Amino acid sequence: MKFLFNTGRTAAQGIGLDRKAGAEYARATSRCMMNPVDMMDLDVEAGDHLQVRGPAGEVVLSVVPAEGTPRGMVFVPLGPYANHILGGETHGTGMPDFKTMTVEIEPTLREVPTVADLMDEIGGAAYSPEETS
Amino acid sequence: MIHTDMVCPFCGCLCDDIVVETEGNAVVRVDNACTLGTHKLMNASMDRLKGPIMRDGAGWRDATYDEAIEYAAGVLLDADRPLLYGWSSTQGEAQGLGVSMAELLGGVIDSTTSVCHGPSILAIQEVGHPGCTLGQVKNRADLIIYWGCNPTEAHPRHMSRYTTYADGFFLQNSFRERKLIVVDVRKTETASIADEFVQITPGGDYAVFSALRAIVRGRGDVVPPTVAGVTKEQLEKIAEMCKSAKFGAFFFGVGLTMAPGRYKNIRNAIELVDELNRYTKFTLTPLRGHYNVYGSNEVFTWMTGYPYAVDFSRQIAFYNPGETTAVDILARKECDACLIVASDPGAHFPRKCLEHLTSIPTVLIDPARTVTTPLCRCQIPTAVTGIDASGTAYRMDGVPIHVKTFLDLGYPTDTEVIGRIFEKVQEVRHP
Repeated sequence: MKFLFNTGRTAAQGIGLDRKAGAEYARATSRCMMNPVDMMDLDVEAGDHLQVRGPAGEVVLSVVPAEGTPRGMVFVPLGPYANHILGGETHGTGMPDFKTMTVEIEPTLREVPTVADLMDEIGGAAYSPEETS
Repeated sequence: MIHTDMVCPFCGCLCDDIVVETEGNAVVRVDNACTLGTHKLMNASMDRLKGPIMRDGAGWRDATYDEAIEYAAGVLLDADRPLLYGWSSTQGEAQGLGVSMAELLGGVIDSTTSVCHGPSILAIQEVGHPGCTLGQVKNRADLIIYWGCNPTEAHPRHMSRYTTYADGFFLQNSFRERKLIVVDVRKTETASIADEFVQITPGGDYAVFSALRAIVRGRGDVVPPTVAGVTKEQLEKIAEMCKSAKFGAFFFGVGLTMAPGRYKNIRNAIELVDELNRYTKFTLTPLRGHYNVYGSNEVFTWMTGYPYAVDFSRQIAFYNPGETTAVDILARKECDACLIVASDPGAHFPRKCLEHLTSIPTVLIDPARTVTTPLCRCQIPTAVTGIDASGTAYRMDGVPIHVKTFLDLGYPTDTEVIGRIFEKVQEVRHP
């Protein structure tokens, strides 16, 4: 199913900002908030995983029911998961389509990746403090 | 030890009534801060990098500050088109040095503004900014509008310090006298406490502003029965609430700046505020995210004439958002070196931009391991302004505030590290 992909701030995402290496930040930013009626249409329950495909690729997120989210829209906290599928087009303004991306969503049994997995996929090299000490 | 009247270095509210209790180098208690500020301050000394790190093949190795600074300067000097990005969570003093260095290098300097309130600034450049201080709002405003934002989650003390729940000098009973209108595409926590919640269909902001302007002007007859999912009756009710207020304060977030229409939405909002000023006092303030993103706009403007995305490759300052903004430069694979200061594009930039960051020498100046760390070649840890460094920061209403320190962890400040890189650049470019 096609959805409008809306990203923005949540308190949990903000709390994790200064400890982005932690599991809490990954949990806070890999949530996909969806109207419960849309969840019924997709036949998924809270905590199930979704494959979300956008202009730049795909990512697996976990679904969270949210009554306040209108049907046809999903809300994902801003962070590495949301941006993993976002294209670089800014329409001459410098601002990417953080709130206006159309995505294709379907249920999946795949695991939600870690932030390090996402960065590895892009070509990064994970750093752990033990490595250099 | 108890430190009073500290300034929270999290969001653009820059709350300056924070009480921090420390035992040695550990923060044991934080009073008055919101949940976001409390977490930042409580974790003040946790997860910091011990010293600079540099990429070593597929892994990492420790480095000295001298070595890392030498590397950073070398990378910037070798580049044809270096990008200096970030600057929103650091002190104004460091921002000033960054501009001087970008000018000497003939590079581009941009702040996180370009992916938050950049469109607001474009609109303000077109039609002006009917702003005021947050103190004016607190003491005078009897109507608050939050449009495309969710301060309950993003600026948790905004309502208790400056709007809905704050005492006002010119209001008898602030909480009962103030009305709250929330406009958003989804029903957020903030919307649930509004006197009037307006849910518009995504992308409908511009049309709703235009309809409101028509109604305020007395031309409601041209407005159709519904506009972007909002009934004409509700629009008329809101227009009346605005016109009959003694002092209205309009706040908006990235829900407007990132929506279709971008800066034209903000332009229409400013022109609505302009229209309302024919009837009453009305002001408009962007809700700024990083605690000193406003400062980056101030410092860049004093020094170059432009608020962000300043390109020095022509030997003079050039500014063209959409061309000289960080996302565009990275997506076009245009820059050949990048210095990132006090920001985390790894978490907040589109994937295409990050792929380019990994392919060029990227240096990160940041106190802790972030999502950008795996993408860079060298990271230099520094002190955090407001925790173990003091400096200047600008609140979301443009008021400069001296941000104080309460810890000494021995890290150099951003100003010191950037100053040392700048010195090395000067040795080559201005011997």
